Amino acid sequence: MARYAMLIDASRCTGCGACRVACQMQHQLPPNMSFNRLEFRERGIFPTVKQEIVPVQCMHCDNPPCLHVCPTNATYKRSDGIVLVDHDKCIGCKYCMTACPYDARTLNEKRVPEKCKFCSEYVVQGQEPPCASTCMCSVRIFGDLDDPDSEISKAMAKKSVYQLIPEKGTRPRIYYVKK
Amino acid sequence: MAVKKFNRRTFIKAAAASGVVGSVPMYLSLADHKKVASEEPLKKVWSQCNGCASMCSKAVYSKNNRLWKVEGHPLHLKSGGRLCARGHGMAADVYNTSRVTQPMKRVGDTFEPISWEQAFSEIGEKLGKIVEEHKGDSVLWVEHGPRGKFYADILLDLIGSPNYCTHYSTCFTSKTNVWPKMVGDSLAADHENANYLLFVGRNFGGGIIPNGMNKIHKAIERGAKLVVVDPKYNEMAKIAHDWVPIRPGTDLAFYLGLAHTLISENLYDRNFVNRNVLGFSEFWEANKTASADWASEVTGIPADKIREIARDMAASAPKAILEPGWHGLNCHYVNSTQTAQMNVILNALVGNFYKIGGLYPGQDIPFGSVDRKMPPFKRKGERADGAGVKGKFPTVEPGRGIAQITPQLVEEGLIKAVFIYHYNPLRTAPNPEYQKKIKDAELVVVIPTDWNETAVHTAHYILPEDYYLERTETPRNNSGHLAHIYPQISIRAKALDPIHDTKPLREIVAGICEAMGYEGYFNFTIEDEVKAALSTVEGLTPERLYEEGTIEFTTHFMEGVPLEFKTSTKKINFKVPEYEANGFSGVPTWVPPATWPKEENEFRLIHGKQPWHSHSITANNPYLMAITKAYNGEWMWMNKVRADKLGIKNGDTVTVQSSVSTKQAKVKVTELVHPDCVWISNSYGNFSERQKDGYGVGVNFNDFLELQVEPMAGGTNSQEIIVKITKGVS
Repeated sequence: MARYAMLIDASRCTGCGACRVACQMQHQLPPNMSFNRLEFRERGIFPTVKQEIVPVQCMHCDNPPCLHVCPTNATYKRSDGIVLVDHDKCIGCKYCMTACPYDARTLNEKRVPEKCKFCSEYVVQGQEPPCASTCMCSVRIFGDLDDPDSEISKAMAKKSVYQLIPEKGTRPRIYYVKK
Repeated sequence: MAVKKFNRRTFIKAAAASGVVGSVPMYLSLADHKKVASEEPLKKVWSQCNGCASMCSKAVYSKNNRLWKVEGHPLHLKSGGRLCARGHGMAADVYNTSRVTQPMKRVGDTFEPISWEQAFSEIGEKLGKIVEEHKGDSVLWVEHGPRGKFYADILLDLIGSPNYCTHYSTCFTSKTNVWPKMVGDSLAADHENANYLLFVGRNFGGGIIPNGMNKIHKAIERGAKLVVVDPKYNEMAKIAHDWVPIRPGTDLAFYLGLAHTLISENLYDRNFVNRNVLGFSEFWEANKTASADWASEVTGIPADKIREIARDMAASAPKAILEPGWHGLNCHYVNSTQTAQMNVILNALVGNFYKIGGLYPGQDIPFGSVDRKMPPFKRKGERADGAGVKGKFPTVEPGRGIAQITPQLVEEGLIKAVFIYHYNPLRTAPNPEYQKKIKDAELVVVIPTDWNETAVHTAHYILPEDYYLERTETPRNNSGHLAHIYPQISIRAKALDPIHDTKPLREIVAGICEAMGYEGYFNFTIEDEVKAALSTVEGLTPERLYEEGTIEFTTHFMEGVPLEFKTSTKKINFKVPEYEANGFSGVPTWVPPATWPKEENEFRLIHGKQPWHSHSITANNPYLMAITKAYNGEWMWMNKVRADKLGIKNGDTVTVQSSVSTKQAKVKVTELVHPDCVWISNSYGNFSERQKDGYGVGVNFNDFLELQVEPMAGGTNSQEIIVKITKGVS
């Protein structure tokens, strides 16, 4: 069984937004609805100043708070680790949106709190999610951590990584490269 | 004309490009298109992007003529398998509600739909009369360029007009003016193999070439050093080793300081210069006092930093490049042509010409041309805009012209009929209120895909072109901007059937010509043209190119400086004879910008690209404008120290006043921009009410810019703008 994960090297990101629109096309989302976002931050004073950009999306947590609070089990975790939403079971209570520490969910036109699906239908066919494949800076590496030959496994072995908001105990499947 | 056969040995296949895609499920949650495609097979066609001028080859996936998504071609030089936000977003624009859906005729301040037959017949009749009364010289074709040129030339040759004009004078004209005169070629940088990369006023992360950024990351991983010099902390500055903010308008002084260091410290490539350069000693005589210390005073960059950059470049030479650049700096100031000359000189001083890891020319294959009836010879007069004309603008390239003065030519009565193709001068040329005078010509035909400002405010007739996904075009070489040793060609094939009553440009121009009585000049189809184009390549069929999208050849560039350069002197000209002969200095020396901010509330207004927009063409795209909304992309950047002095806080509305206009903007207070200037993206300020996503969002630098022509290359001096900024609405 695969164990899907993503490694993000935020230091490579230049904030172009291709990941956002490529994802919107893949999932045919309307313009104002997005499954990923960028957080911009400035540090320092002119001319000694740096900009940081952090790409954020659903972390497909191994301990997902959104799943625990869902009253109808609409949010579920697949055996490969991908967290998904069963639209038929969702009653639109939005508990999951409140519970997510990453603010990763967004309402679709049917008022279902949607989010990044790790391109669940496509990755099982060996395709790369377009947020990763379209990125000119190769910010994201998607892959299977159980496959020692996968690009992500090799990169994880070489680099030290961190996760966002670890104190919440969510155990995210998205890792960030430590610089 | 017989075309020499181009010998193909083998093609390198785009292996990843021809996968099986038939079983991919598809989700169409957009209300209008939910059911249309569910049972249909997935179709994949290779097109070329139209989101900017890079023309990345991309796969277009659709079902039942409904677009799903696009993907970059892995082999294409500009794409490298990746697409930017614009590449994805602009594909979806095929469904934009602002598209012009059929031919339109102006009736007062509005438009009424007409048939193509009526449009052709009325335009043909009016144009015929204009040519009869005022000669063909009174007709102007202006376009982004040069994509419509083949068809435009047929029309212009038939009526006898020399007035073909591109948008280049509003964009990068100093660069394209200088290189042929100084080097006889246009060289691109080999970023991937360079060890030192100096980017001044150029930003692959904003004016995006996806594979360009990819190559820069690769160079950095390999240990190359990247230095970005820009008044604004641009997207490339984020990944650079060094961001060097420079006082805007002084890049020429910085370049002179670098050259002074290289020469005075004897760090330049003496062999290369002695063997290939004319005018070195005149250049040095004229610039002996332009030291790093002097340059530091002018630019605000510490002298030690200038010397460090020059020494580092020399240490990495010849694998050191000063990126030749594009829009940035090449039509911005009265000193832009001298700045462009210095770009050539600095690269020559480090001896990187025709070297791997340095600069070398694009590798092109020659295309054949369709067998057709040629227009009879007609005498043509002088160009109306004076480009290449003695006594007017003798050194401006006549093949490109001076686009920004079109309304002036109409006002002076020199131009009576204007054709505007794939170009929106009302938003992308200086002073839009003045550009509106284009409408006063006797005939104005606009050929757009959407209701842009030029169509709405100047057109007498609007003839809508098929969207780029709806048309097949002749193949193109992929060279330019990024050096690549192998030639590559790509094709834009029709991926979707047209959804509106639109036509390809060929049929539009043919319709007008035929209505004027010129029969038989368009007796060929696009398929004939594609076949003829490929007739120079043995064994390459159109079918194969359609299937592979992009093809790379194995013949390749070899290092080696040519014995002769294609200049007037056959050498590299540090002193340009064509400039000298026309009363300009042949060698570049310091020329200050024409304007300076002086008062506490005065700033130089500078602009640049934002990564999710190209220019006006993307400003009404719902997906790209949603990014603008999410990140306040239309706000004007102001340095915090200056903002504090004026009591301006982040998000405040301010009044921005220039000699041309007064408008309001919101301010982003930041440490990421030089205190002398304010910065805005060049994409906003849309004023076509028929474009609901772009209309009324932000301001544009052209709103504040006086009409000017830089005399050597014809540029617009687009950053010679001083604005007064006051808090609030006044």
